[in-house]
Amino acid sequence: MADQGDTGEAITILLVEDDAPTCWRLQDALKKAGYDARTAGSLGEARSALAGGAPRVLLTDLRLPDGHGVELIREVRRRFPETEIMVISALGDEESVISAITVGATGYLLKDAFPTDIATTVRDLVAGHSPISASIARFIVRRTQNSAEPPPGPVLNTAKLTPREIDILWGIAKGFSYAEIAGHLGLSRQTVPGHIKNIYRKLEVHTRSEAVFEAVQQGLIKL
Amino acid sequence: MSEIAAKAVVSPRRLRLARFLPYLLLQILIVIVTMLGLRLLEPRDPDNFAVSEFSLREAGSTRQVTLPHFTASRYSLADPPLYSGKFVFKSDSTNRIDANTTWSVFLPRFSNGVEIAVNGVALLDSRRDPSANRPDRNTPEIAVIPASLLREGSNDITVRLFVWGPLRGFLDTVYVGPDDALRPAYETRTLLFVTLPVVFSAWQSILAVILAIMWLMRRHEPVYGVLAAAMVLGVVQAFLTLPVPPATSSRLAGVLLSSAPLESALIVASAVLFLGWRWPRYGVLLFVPGLIVIAGGLIAGPPLPRILFMLLGIPTVGFCLVLMAGIAAHAALRRQDVVSFALGCAATIVLTCWAHDMLSVFEIMPNERTFVSRLSYSALLIAIGAGLTWRFARALNQVDSFAGQLVARVREAEERLKASFVREEARARAAALANERTRLMRDLHDGLGGQLISIVALSERGQEGAPITDAARAALKDLRLVIDSMDDIGGDLMLALGSWRERAAMQLRPHDIALDWRVATPQGLPLHPELRPWHVIQIVRILDEAVTNAVKHAAARHIIVTIETRDDGQGPYGVISVADDGRGFALGDEGEAAGVNHTARGLRNMRSRATRCGAVLDLNSDTSGTEVRLQLPKVFPDSDVAAG
Repeated sequence: MADQGDTGEAITILLVEDDAPTCWRLQDALKKAGYDARTAGSLGEARSALAGGAPRVLLTDLRLPDGHGVELIREVRRRFPETEIMVISALGDEESVISAITVGATGYLLKDAFPTDIATTVRDLVAGHSPISASIARFIVRRTQNSAEPPPGPVLNTAKLTPREIDILWGIAKGFSYAEIAGHLGLSRQTVPGHIKNIYRKLEVHTRSEAVFEAVQQGLIKL
Repeated sequence: MSEIAAKAVVSPRRLRLARFLPYLLLQILIVIVTMLGLRLLEPRDPDNFAVSEFSLREAGSTRQVTLPHFTASRYSLADPPLYSGKFVFKSDSTNRIDANTTWSVFLPRFSNGVEIAVNGVALLDSRRDPSANRPDRNTPEIAVIPASLLREGSNDITVRLFVWGPLRGFLDTVYVGPDDALRPAYETRTLLFVTLPVVFSAWQSILAVILAIMWLMRRHEPVYGVLAAAMVLGVVQAFLTLPVPPATSSRLAGVLLSSAPLESALIVASAVLFLGWRWPRYGVLLFVPGLIVIAGGLIAGPPLPRILFMLLGIPTVGFCLVLMAGIAAHAALRRQDVVSFALGCAATIVLTCWAHDMLSVFEIMPNERTFVSRLSYSALLIAIGAGLTWRFARALNQVDSFAGQLVARVREAEERLKASFVREEARARAAALANERTRLMRDLHDGLGGQLISIVALSERGQEGAPITDAARAALKDLRLVIDSMDDIGGDLMLALGSWRERAAMQLRPHDIALDWRVATPQGLPLHPELRPWHVIQIVRILDEAVTNAVKHAAARHIIVTIETRDDGQGPYGVISVADDGRGFALGDEGEAAGVNHTARGLRNMRSRATRCGAVLDLNSDTSGTEVRLQLPKVFPDSDVAAG
């Protein structure tokens, strides 16, 4: 049952979560699925863990005792471009997920997800399939519509999205499955997850100063 | 390419030609009608009493002549041509009640002045009558012959004809007879040639006043000023009395004589301006003849101004008339409007009359000297007055329609403003809600949410924690629902159902229940702009309750959610149905589930939620499964329809 990387070794995961019970719970689920999951309870611990080498997957909470998860995501994204990054969110709300996406995360994991779902999500992510929820998709597509005044919540630049990608997001927001979306849009079912990863990549803010500016704007970082 | 260009050039020309022919035919018709009219209007004289055989003593020689007769042109009033004739008076007392029938002598037309004597006694000197001294007015004269002068049988009549050049003198047939017989002809001529010109001059003076006021109020439109000047000239010319030539005030006469060419030049100028064209610089030349006549009148005494008038003034008037006709024709063909047509026709009438006068001046039309130009000029005056009125009325209409448009536009703008205000209000409300939601979400994420997660994590570690886990998960689920439903979904219920599908799937996965999601069309449900968060919560909770029942009490393996839009002709509405393949439950009276208390309460809750947002809930349950069918309203109610 163990998922294997290309080298045949277990996939390495760095789990950054300050709430001990949640941390154990997630680690348990990942270990049971055969992943090599190490944990860190703070930004500092995470950085020292990263000194030992890049994990294949980074799972991080946003609120950490000594800093903000956004900083960590940004750092990892820059230093280890190969690492897949997911944000752990209590509610899966767009506030946390979108701000993580804009600095380089390509997915989110609910803290109360069932163990099997946790394993599946990580496996899909490594396979290049980014998870997206209806509410996140809704948030993004509604940003592509309203142009009169910046709506509340994280700043999001949707200008790069193609009409097809926006159509896919609409489908997800309305609860259609990938297969149904592919059917409506005349796509092959396998290409939809790739589109979603592209969407995440297009929403990423690429300069550091931009990212910091936006994080400050959103109140995620206090200077 | 060149063919197309050629066509493009030819077609307007053809069009103009097609318009020109009917216009020309119309003008020819007007000429004919005018000439016929002149014939018809020519007054009938009582031919029974004509006296036309006279002996004329002129310049020392005597000869027999027959009236009407032209004499040579003269510049002196001394020793005028003397016409002597005889007529027979019969006091036909047997046939008449009044033996003393009054007899008169009637001169229908003469130029320029006459002195009539019967039996050596002078009866009338026309030079005393100012209007009779004007050669352009065909003033008739009548004089009653005192009964005492008349002799039974042959009587003598002499007419002295005063002539001042350059026109030749003219004496029409003289009529002598009973006053009753002569008077009507005289009255007719007076009406036509004396009264009517006065009426028209009055009309012209009114026009002058109106135009002057117009020009004073609208200085930027010189057309009114020019036209007013023309009218003033005409009025002055008509009402100032012309002195008898030997008088010393001959300079004034010169000035007055020059008014006609000036007036016609002004009329042409105003026509050009009226039609909105530019008055060319060389147009000033048109005023030169008139000014020369004035100069001649001021510098030299008579008869130079009169000669100048003949040589320059009258041709200028004719030239102006031709110009006027040309301008009006051009405008009429170009614009096809009433004013241009009216001006064109009037110009044709005046031109015809001018030609008629020229023919009689050059004696091409024999035995006649009736000048009608001045009279026909009234046609042009009427056309100008009508044109001005028409233009004024049209301007008023334009103002009206502009005002109407303005009102409509203001109303439109007002409505747009109102709509945008409503929109703005809705937007502001949505923004406030979104802000509040963001704040709440942060709070819940960091506080309550995290704590619930911890409870889930902790309770999962112990064996007895399962109920706590379930409770905590349910709390988390509800928390997500509340947050989710606060989001502005723009009236698209599908967006809320999309999130609900995810939560329901997550809930069903541990129980191994498959969620079959069937949406009839990609749009799914109709849009409801009036949809509010509390509607969404009620609907999603009904669906949650249906799924929870299927999981907890029916032991179902499949749940099928069907979403479709129906339309029974009165607007579309949505139907959501949640069906399971569980064992169902027995429904008691009024569709209430019997037996299990919890289920009954759940069903009651579902019904009341449906009622509150205007939806209709249908419940069917048997041993093969349960179907909860929620028929959404066409329009969601503003406030709670009924308290739950």
